[in-house]
Amino acid sequence: MTPHIKHRITRRQSLTLIGATLTAMMLPTVSLLANTGGMRQKAFAGTDKKLPVIGMGTWRTFNVGSDPELLEARTEVVKAFFEHGGGLIDSSPMYGSAPDVMGYALQQLGTPESLFAAEKVWSPAGGSAREQVAELKERWKVEHFDLVQVHNLTDWREQLAALQAMKAEGIVRHVGITTSHGRRHNEIEQIMTSEDIDFVQLTYNITHREAENRLLPLAEERGIGVIANRPYDGGSLIKNLKRRNAPLPEWAQSECGCTTWADFLLKFIVSHPAITCAIPATTQVEHLRENMRAGHAPMPSAEARQRMADYIESL
Amino acid sequence: MNEWTSYQLQDFIPFTAEVYFRLLERMGETFWPLHVLTLSLGAAALVLALTHRTRLACLLPAPLWAFVAVAFFFQRYAELNWAGGYVGNAFIAQAVLLVVMALTGWEMDRASRGTSPPVVMGTAITLFGLIIMPLTATLSGGSWYQAEVFGIHADPTAVATLGLVLIMLRGFALWIAVIIPALWLVVSGLTLQALDSTGGALLFAVLAIALVGLVWKSIESKR
Repeated sequence: MTPHIKHRITRRQSLTLIGATLTAMMLPTVSLLANTGGMRQKAFAGTDKKLPVIGMGTWRTFNVGSDPELLEARTEVVKAFFEHGGGLIDSSPMYGSAPDVMGYALQQLGTPESLFAAEKVWSPAGGSAREQVAELKERWKVEHFDLVQVHNLTDWREQLAALQAMKAEGIVRHVGITTSHGRRHNEIEQIMTSEDIDFVQLTYNITHREAENRLLPLAEERGIGVIANRPYDGGSLIKNLKRRNAPLPEWAQSECGCTTWADFLLKFIVSHPAITCAIPATTQVEHLRENMRAGHAPMPSAEARQRMADYIESL
Repeated sequence: MNEWTSYQLQDFIPFTAEVYFRLLERMGETFWPLHVLTLSLGAAALVLALTHRTRLACLLPAPLWAFVAVAFFFQRYAELNWAGGYVGNAFIAQAVLLVVMALTGWEMDRASRGTSPPVVMGTAITLFGLIIMPLTATLSGGSWYQAEVFGIHADPTAVATLGLVLIMLRGFALWIAVIIPALWLVVSGLTLQALDSTGGALLFAVLAIALVGLVWKSIESKR
């Protein structure tokens, strides 16, 4: 039986409703989406401190020099990152002007409490680790770094010893090492076993899962935080999926809440128990929002993760 | 995993296409209307080279190489790429080399005919650098500020100079004078390729033609 509608909407009510809808559509999207509480967080480095599972990388994307137009555009990306509950931002002296651009953005926006500033020391940049950290702090316009890593293991013995000393003096809060593209995993494993480090950064994504064999279990065992770089394999994963016009499987939406390929690829990474956070990089606010949404529940189970990997392999 | 095979061309380019092309555009915006002067100097150098007034033809591009070194590489490109300072030094070295060659008249080719294949190739390459390269931006829908211009931007400066030295030099001096322009065009071609720009293929085509011209001229002068 069709329910009888007792109250018809009057013309005035209709106009009010249309007006309210239009007003709502004109409101800034960010303020509606801003939900720092929704982002999944993970404890790291054997502490009770937690980090949002989606961070942000700056390789290539934040190296814009002194271009005023692009400085403003990247500031908008940083703004959206924090509005969506972001924490860790990772950069390096190897990334050209990226640390300066981050400094510009933080000066414009103020430095939010949620910022977890992660930098690196890199021998070819010149100067000692201590000098590099001091210079990078000025470039970022921050008072301290939460994490400083030895970039790509360059002179890691000397650099890590210097960082450990700086940690003991309270100049940096955590120390770590990095690699990418699956390089030098044996050496990384040795360092994780023999040295007292808080974080390791390595490449881990749905098509590069070598770290699952030894490094991720070792990180869990030793209480070392893991930052996953190249989550989209330098952008090629997303590009290839879009070029193939590959359909996002229905089960991915119903089981893991994946509505985009960004969701699919990032949720796969951050749902691994050993991964602390992934650091996708982007130049666009819309892509940043997609990335950040991936940090929200539901997350795939171990079985769903296997299904996701099988699906990508089948394409 | 073998460390070296895991590297791709993109791993060596620390900026995006958007940033690089904005940098070229900013050069155009900042230095307009200097373009008129630099293009005039380029055209004058071509006329002088073709009329065998080679020492002056060799001298004219020198200050432009120094200008590109400072305004493009030291002041702007080096912000994006730590290697920018080294390339800037190479451009200064090319400026000095051109001045030294102009002052000493080292292996100037004053006997070549305008119809000889290396001179024809050199003229075509110079005209490509002076006229076609600036037009490609506007023809592909970009603004005039996006045009890459001889004496303002690195690529057309290297291309046109490559053509000029092919016309006006010979022997060992010719090979010495092409090293820096050719090396930059290789670096720039690879950069554009990594940024998915078709411009890279054009630079490699110019290099291939220049190489044919170089070899031809070397064989010709030994006869």
